[in-house]
Amino acid sequence: MSNDGINAPVRRRAILKAGLALGAVQVASPFVVKSLADEPVKIGLDNPLTGTYAALGKNELIGCKLALDQINAKGGILGRKVDLLVEDSTSGDAGTAVEKARKLIDRDKVDFLVGNINSALAAAIANVAYEKSVFMVDPGGHTDPITGTNCHWDVFRVCNTTQMEANAVASTLIKTAGKKWYYITPDYAFGHTLQAGLEKACTKLGGTKIGGDLTPLGTTDFSSYLIKAQAANPDVIIFLVAGDDAVNALKQAVQFGLDKKYHLAGAQQELEVLLGLPPEARIGTWVFEWYWNQPNVPHVAEFVADIRKHSGGHVPTARTWFGYAALWTCALAAQQAKSLDAVKMAKAMQGFKLPPEVSLMPDGAFYRAAQNQLIPDLYVGNAQQAPKGGDPEDLFKVTEIVKGIDAAGPLEDTGCKMTWPT
Amino acid sequence: MTQLVLFDAFNGLIVGAFYALMALGLSLILNLSGVINFAHGGFLALGGYFAYTLIPYLGFWGALICAPFLVAVLGVIVERLLICRLYGRDPLYGLLLTFGLAFIFEDGTRTIWGAQSLPYQVPGWLLSPLSSAYFFLTGYRLFMVLIVAIAVVAMFLILNHTKIGIRIRAGTLDLETVSVLGVNVRMLRSLNFGLGVYLAGLAGVLAVGQLGLQPTIGGSLIMPSFVAIIVGGLGSLPGTLLGGLLIGVASGITTVFWPSATEAVIYVMMALVLMVRPRGLLGEEGRF
Repeated sequence: MSNDGINAPVRRRAILKAGLALGAVQVASPFVVKSLADEPVKIGLDNPLTGTYAALGKNELIGCKLALDQINAKGGILGRKVDLLVEDSTSGDAGTAVEKARKLIDRDKVDFLVGNINSALAAAIANVAYEKSVFMVDPGGHTDPITGTNCHWDVFRVCNTTQMEANAVASTLIKTAGKKWYYITPDYAFGHTLQAGLEKACTKLGGTKIGGDLTPLGTTDFSSYLIKAQAANPDVIIFLVAGDDAVNALKQAVQFGLDKKYHLAGAQQELEVLLGLPPEARIGTWVFEWYWNQPNVPHVAEFVADIRKHSGGHVPTARTWFGYAALWTCALAAQQAKSLDAVKMAKAMQGFKLPPEVSLMPDGAFYRAAQNQLIPDLYVGNAQQAPKGGDPEDLFKVTEIVKGIDAAGPLEDTGCKMTWPT
Repeated sequence: MTQLVLFDAFNGLIVGAFYALMALGLSLILNLSGVINFAHGGFLALGGYFAYTLIPYLGFWGALICAPFLVAVLGVIVERLLICRLYGRDPLYGLLLTFGLAFIFEDGTRTIWGAQSLPYQVPGWLLSPLSSAYFFLTGYRLFMVLIVAIAVVAMFLILNHTKIGIRIRAGTLDLETVSVLGVNVRMLRSLNFGLGVYLAGLAGVLAVGQLGLQPTIGGSLIMPSFVAIIVGGLGSLPGTLLGGLLIGVASGITTVFWPSATEAVIYVMMALVLMVRPRGLLGEEGRF
């Protein structure tokens, strides 16, 4: 038939089939950041490279690569060079993430597994790592159960729990902005636990929740939620949405003029989000989990300079540091245990304090024993427009550094009951 | 409560107008060429990225005018090089091709402009809230609706009062006869594809004024547009417009009562329409 052939009929059924096809995406083979050694130690990174979390994933990868270079430059792990095997977990498909984790462990025989930004995916691959007894580090999936009610002996986490972030920012908000809070929360594991954490912290300090909405992940139009928030007349509108959703929500809140009437705030905020906002929308009180502009903290300036070489001149974000600290955690665990045996490494990391050139924060950071959760400093402050004459990526003003142990609460409250293999 | 419902219904109309703009482009291509264009979201994203790139040189208004044209030109090239080879075949071929193109566009934009959201700035006077007490309306939203209205009216004028538009409509009904009468169907399809993709590009430029500009922006907006076509009725452009507005309003009102179901409600609407009136609200009987 010629190119001008008359159309075959398009039926409604074909369009419905087309919708189903959207879910059927397979991803290509991993690419390997290779070292020169003959029998390398393998670290598998199962993290998003495409989709909503691609920008965050890319930054974690940059941090991982710098750590990889440094580890190899210092003689590798137990004298063996290290390879990083990178897989795209997708941003939201737990099935793909789990399949990639199994492939990395079963086929590629990785010694360590690292991932994932999406809380739900991190929890899913943590179960695979546990089943296979592989030492795993979750660099950036925040939901509490990973080092709480679903904690595992071989799963460590670099980023904070949502409860830690909530505790860190709550008292500042109550003091500076008021006690009546309205929540705009993403409708999945991360959002639920973050809101629960904030409600708990807020109530303890005498604040109240006067309303809130759960927004589907990937919401583009937040106006209806913002209308409801305004109708409730709160002191503070709490934005718990993350990534692209946060960019959309804040951009629209400022267009509606809500920043003039209410205090806009939230728990977790990321430099990636602030960079995606026009200057007038870089506002609000937030928690950063790591920040690059710490002039008085040793080793930070060198780290920033090194990352700039890997990132086309951009400063490291908290995500970059997560990736960096996650890979170093693997190397340090082996070094401490003098073995690649997962049980020995996990035991060696109980209560382990990261060296200052890895922790890169004023009070350091350590893995809390019997929880495997890193307890770092948290940075409370305000988003800002880049200072005139300063670095264009200096978009956050730290007003208070909260020690992780003060934000973490007692171990019993986490619900973590770890069972070690016999 | 009544006030909230009214606010949300009004707001839904604004959002719906935007869905309709995308859906009209999709519908044009589907009606004449029989191609279910899954790459429409990719063209939308490109509209935003072209505008972002052009703003430093042409300013906001120059970018608003030029970016959709560039997208349309790219669309015609893609149609001539790839899509035209699949005319007359099972629609699933075209669907698979455009599905692949959608990924190429997403990864292409990620490679060229980066995965990071980019800050897109619209003129300050458009950003001021016009009324937050009664309508909760911003200058930019009003501007968007105005541009959508102009684009829709212009499109209907073109389709009803120009030779090319009348040929497109005739081709939609019976392409074989139009071809036999000596109309250059190949060129007609290219122009029609360009027009449909132009609307996607325009939607992209408008969207990035209030959404983050990132490679996935098209993907998040494409599904409501498909739903708008099915609800409104395949083959009917007024139906597509109505479908877009209806799902916008339904989604807005749902926010008042059950916020987490705002996305689901449009699919429930689609299911109901398919059960009760399978050809869609204004779809032509027997055509699909």
